[in-house]
Amino acid sequence: MMGLGAMIKRNIKMFFKDKGLLFTSLITPIILLVLYATFLGNVYRDSFEQIISALAPNLNIPKELVEGCVGGQLFSSLLAVCTVTVTFCSNMLMVQDKVNGSISDLTITPVKGSTLALGYYVATAITTLIICFAATAACLIYIACIGWYLTLTDILLIVLDVFILVMFGTALSSIINYFLSSQGQISAVGSIVSAGYGFICGAYMPISQFSKGLQNFVAFLPGTYGTSLLRNHSLRGVFAEMVDLGIPETAIDEMKNSIDCNIYFFENKVELSSMYIYLGATVLVLVLIYVLMNIKKRKVVR
Amino acid sequence: MNNIIEITGLNKSFKDVKAVQNLSFKVKQGELFAFLGLNGAGKSTTISIMCGQLKKDSGRVIVNGFDLDKSIENAKKEIGVVFQNSVLDKPLTAKDNLKNRAALYGIVGEDFNTRLNELSRLLDLDELLNRPVGKLSGGQRRRVDIARALLHNPKILILDEPTTGLDPQTRHTLWSVIDSLRKQTGMTVFLTTHYMEEAADADYIVILDNGKIAAEGSPLELKNNYSGDYITLYGADENEITPLCKDYEVIRDAIKIAVPNTAAATEMIIKNPNLFKDYEITKGKMDDVFLAVTGKKLTSNGGEAK
Repeated sequence: MMGLGAMIKRNIKMFFKDKGLLFTSLITPIILLVLYATFLGNVYRDSFEQIISALAPNLNIPKELVEGCVGGQLFSSLLAVCTVTVTFCSNMLMVQDKVNGSISDLTITPVKGSTLALGYYVATAITTLIICFAATAACLIYIACIGWYLTLTDILLIVLDVFILVMFGTALSSIINYFLSSQGQISAVGSIVSAGYGFICGAYMPISQFSKGLQNFVAFLPGTYGTSLLRNHSLRGVFAEMVDLGIPETAIDEMKNSIDCNIYFFENKVELSSMYIYLGATVLVLVLIYVLMNIKKRKVVR
Repeated sequence: MNNIIEITGLNKSFKDVKAVQNLSFKVKQGELFAFLGLNGAGKSTTISIMCGQLKKDSGRVIVNGFDLDKSIENAKKEIGVVFQNSVLDKPLTAKDNLKNRAALYGIVGEDFNTRLNELSRLLDLDELLNRPVGKLSGGQRRRVDIARALLHNPKILILDEPTTGLDPQTRHTLWSVIDSLRKQTGMTVFLTTHYMEEAADADYIVILDNGKIAAEGSPLELKNNYSGDYITLYGADENEITPLCKDYEVIRDAIKIAVPNTAAATEMIIKNPNLFKDYEITKGKMDDVFLAVTGKKLTSNGGEAK
């Protein structure tokens, strides 16, 4: 594994020094923040109040709880998007190296191709974790300011969710970016992922508002469960507080359905443990595919 | 001298295109070896195979005793490459680039610092080390490229069109550095270039055409075999030359007469002592050789002159 540390260090440095890569990777979270500031926040707030007034009309809900709920949705959406889109941008270095010829300078060294591939993978995971954990810290501070209902367990579970989603994003982006070899392809994939992933993972708009067919389709996508896990853990405290306030379970469950805390796979509610198993298995399968692709490539070169 | 590179029966095709066809040649240790050919002649394909970046269809490649099929990692340690375009990481400083690439050869810590100091002295890099590579001029970047290629003390330095796009001053500086390196270390230099005057300084030349060797030999052998000599005669009247030969060219203050070889030139001069008072005999140029061998004239960008 000679050179692995050097490759990881080089790739991380390149990502943070390349303003283009860094900015592109932050576009989706920025879009989300703008959407939230302009109208999504109000939509979430109104929707929350409508559900409560319809199902428990006489209940007086503290403003802090409303804001905690809305903030939790923003928090989970932001992390759900960041964990995947940042990996794609960070992993674009793999393609950039092909485009500008740097890969030739790396492959003429005695370092094995598998070490170079692992270097891209680990560096992408580390850069994305740095950005996502920084985003998590910023979001926690924000939540603390508007309405804090989280426990230490919730925070640890959120950290776990972020970690698994980053592994998922890194493996997925490694496979897709492996096939790219031009600047045009980098732009196309970057745009599609930045614009599209926020929608299909339910970050911009709850999956519950999609058509039935689309809901069934996204139920197959691992990212859906990543968003749901983050939603559940960032809003668990809010829902617990609602129970304490006497809001009926049916109202809370209705709310959970509307903001994708509950995900249904063809009418069957998916448990949190199943979500973890599905995401974890997906990561393993994707990593295996990436490893096999690199083994095949090595045979071709030799 | 031992052979440091031995290529035997090398073949490589890309679908229907035969990029390299039954190529065989040897490079002796310590020599300046020039590999010439138009774009698409098979030079880059051969270099990529030698560097272990491309799979060959058949044939054998031995680099400093290491067979590429059996010991590719060892063979890679013997080769340093200066690519046609700088392939270092532009956002990083020259030092960061060199440090990173050195680590890929296992050169770290004090070993790296020692080697960096040596290269810095040799290539005058002190002022460039802490600047991003993307902010360096073409010539400065080339010096850093050479330092990168020499980091691991390779026995063979491959220069893939190293002076393309550089100004004459920088080209001169670059060649001074390479010449001094060869003298000091006995390093073998494997050169591809579109500048024929650079190839003329080589110890041995292989000219490729359509993936095959069209001619090979020392510059002198190639000139003798594929181009004639020229007598440049000063202060003569064109009417006096016309009866002697038909193949001549009137230039500003002289007449340039083409002759098949030096012996023919000598014979012509001896027969006409009154005419040849102020003259010089020159060998044909490598451009003439290239044209005679391939039927094509090479331009500075590697294309064929129309």
